[in-house]
Amino acid sequence: MAVKFKDGVVLGADSRTTTGSYIANRVTDKLTQVYDKIWCCRSGSAADTQAVADIVKYHLDLYTTQHGKPPTARIAASLFQEITYTNKDALSAGLIVAGYDDKTKGEVYSIPLGGSVHKQPYAIAGSGSAFIYGWTAKNFKEEMSKEEVINFTKTALSQAIKWDGSSGGVIRIVILTAEGIERLVFYPDEHENF
Amino acid sequence: MDHDPFRWGRPNDATYGGYNTKIAHANPQAGNAAMPTMNTQQPIVTGTSVIAMKFKDGIVIAADNLGSYGALARFDDVERLFPVGENTVVGISGDISDLQYISRLLEDLEIDNNYDYDGHSLRAPHIHEYLQKVFYARRSKMDPLWNSTIVGGFDDEGKPFLKYVDLLGVKYSAPTLATGFGAYLASPILRKVIFEEKDVEKVDEETARNAIKECMKVLYYRDARSLDKYSMITITKEKGVVFEKNLRSENQSWRFAKDIKGYGTQKV
Amino acid sequence: MVRVNKPYHVSLAEFLLQMLQVLGVGVHDDGERGRTSVGTGYDLSNSVFSPDGRNFQVEYAAKAVENGSTSLAIKTPTGVVFAVEKIITSKLLVPNKNNRIQTIGRSIGAVYSGLLPDGRHLVSRARDEFNSYRGQYKEDITVPYLIDRLGNYVQAYTCYNSVRPFGITSIIGGVDGEGSHLYMLEPSGVYWGYKGAAAGKGRQSAKNELEKLKYDELTSKDAIKEAARIIYLAHEDNKDKDFEIEISWVDTVETKGLHQFVPEDLLAEAKAYAQDKLNEDEDEDEEDDEDEDMDN
Repeated sequence: MAVKFKDGVVLGADSRTTTGSYIANRVTDKLTQVYDKIWCCRSGSAADTQAVADIVKYHLDLYTTQHGKPPTARIAASLFQEITYTNKDALSAGLIVAGYDDKTKGEVYSIPLGGSVHKQPYAIAGSGSAFIYGWTAKNFKEEMSKEEVINFTKTALSQAIKWDGSSGGVIRIVILTAEGIERLVFYPDEHENF
Repeated sequence: MDHDPFRWGRPNDATYGGYNTKIAHANPQAGNAAMPTMNTQQPIVTGTSVIAMKFKDGIVIAADNLGSYGALARFDDVERLFPVGENTVVGISGDISDLQYISRLLEDLEIDNNYDYDGHSLRAPHIHEYLQKVFYARRSKMDPLWNSTIVGGFDDEGKPFLKYVDLLGVKYSAPTLATGFGAYLASPILRKVIFEEKDVEKVDEETARNAIKECMKVLYYRDARSLDKYSMITITKEKGVVFEKNLRSENQSWRFAKDIKGYGTQKV
Repeated sequence: MVRVNKPYHVSLAEFLLQMLQVLGVGVHDDGERGRTSVGTGYDLSNSVFSPDGRNFQVEYAAKAVENGSTSLAIKTPTGVVFAVEKIITSKLLVPNKNNRIQTIGRSIGAVYSGLLPDGRHLVSRARDEFNSYRGQYKEDITVPYLIDRLGNYVQAYTCYNSVRPFGITSIIGGVDGEGSHLYMLEPSGVYWGYKGAAAGKGRQSAKNELEKLKYDELTSKDAIKEAARIIYLAHEDNKDKDFEIEISWVDTVETKGLHQFVPEDLLAEAKAYAQDKLNEDEDEDEEDDEDEDMDN
């Protein structure tokens, strides 16, 4: 999931990767950097989303050399969208793109399976998201403080982890603001009874 | 291992069982095993009905703002009406990623068309014809754009224009039109207002808009993939394109629910 | 004078002559330029430098521009105004048709002086760039990036002997998310950003006038008038010929960010203003003359 707040955006994810019901990786990092302050949350096929993220990362790098300026989250979202849309038959990728720049103060884009783009104040995706649609819709507020938004993300993810068998492990959070990039990790004993 | 000289090196059926054709989507049909099974795509995020009708001075069209993900009401802010050129609108139902693609096509079409300062402008018949060709070309490639659309505006004679085209490239025209569930739920209601082309002259803007609003309400009652938040566009020569967003289906009738008890004979 | 039609198939005699010239022994002197150049063979192909490091084909292309009809553009804080002097080469031409200013995308305008078909081709290329950028990034190309792409494109036509450089200087500008932009692109592929730009026959007097404008205070509506005035003034260099004036603009407010021709009333107003100003200047000149007479 990714959430826009007062100072920028936060991205959050659990750390479970499964092959069927076997946990292939219990400490996965699903928050992937594609540019300095443009990150994505990957859900769906790990192989597909890693490949797509790598391609977008390359294009954003190229964009910087060609334009002499950093890309926006919107540009990144468009690149993700084009790849997932034109290859919709071959890919299983549900992505959320979130980025911070001084002009927009943070943006969140949801790119679900078919390859459409949806600009949102916050976005949730992946198997666990089904369990937290209600809670997030009720508890989301515009312009939350940093502390509020971390609590929001942590609570939402801990509920997803609790009810969804395919979600689990630690909660990873990335915070993108004017200040920079900050990473947080919450272990099961810290979020289980949150 | 199979030691038959013509099957040497392959797994022995007696040991391992026959080859499971379900693996790797191999086609189970004998004699066609070289071909993988082909799947045309399926819609993922979808938009439901678009409904529209003519009236004496123009057309009115509406579509709700829901982007469904299966039964999940995933996005509640999807715009499915697109004004194109001076006085044309395209309403799109079906797959939202294809809808966004079509909206880009229409934008490109408009940009290219403005390059010639020849006094001609894109009108509804041109846009409809263009869309029909795009849809038909794509379905002929076995890669359809998964949508049904309604194009509204004015024809070459300046009379109200309303025409449908869908993922197969099928097109037809009628004074009232509806895609998806709307074809079952809205069309009968709209046809009570305008039954045939000559009735269009008798219907004014107000009547048409009220009929469409009433249909949006019925669709919300009976379409499980719909929303009571919708957009509506009215096009007249006088006022041009009037785009109303974030409309709500109002005056819904629910109070009668209190008198309904049990499912037949129960009184309490 | 040695004329080498195919520099890569030179006879031995011609080769020796060229070698002499390379060594500075040549005696061909271009009176007009006062430099050894024309007719040495170094001006016949793009991919060959002259010994003193010039690409003559590019310089000749610039000549084609110098004689073209005057075009100009003015950048304001909110937009850009384009204007061009259209010399009426035949009375049979339909008045107010045969447009010279073109649009790239929605918010970018282009006008050029020189070989018009070359300009058409460049605009066509610019539109392709616009479309491909939209296809890739799903948003409109910015003016600085477009001009960079076009600069590279034009430059490539100075590097190969199978092509000739563009015989145009084009003025391209518009508005995007970052504000208003104006650039002028020359046959060599070089481009610079300007507040006011002019090309073609009347460029010198046009530039003199453009330098006097107060760009920070200029509204796009005022810029239309000034553009008209400067075109009329620059036409003085070409007075014997009839002309039309074509003006377009793009402004974040006035045209909602769309590049389009100015409405007829504004054009008429601008023309009237231009003629008034021109007459004023002429009167002043006459007065000056009288003063001088009295002094004498």
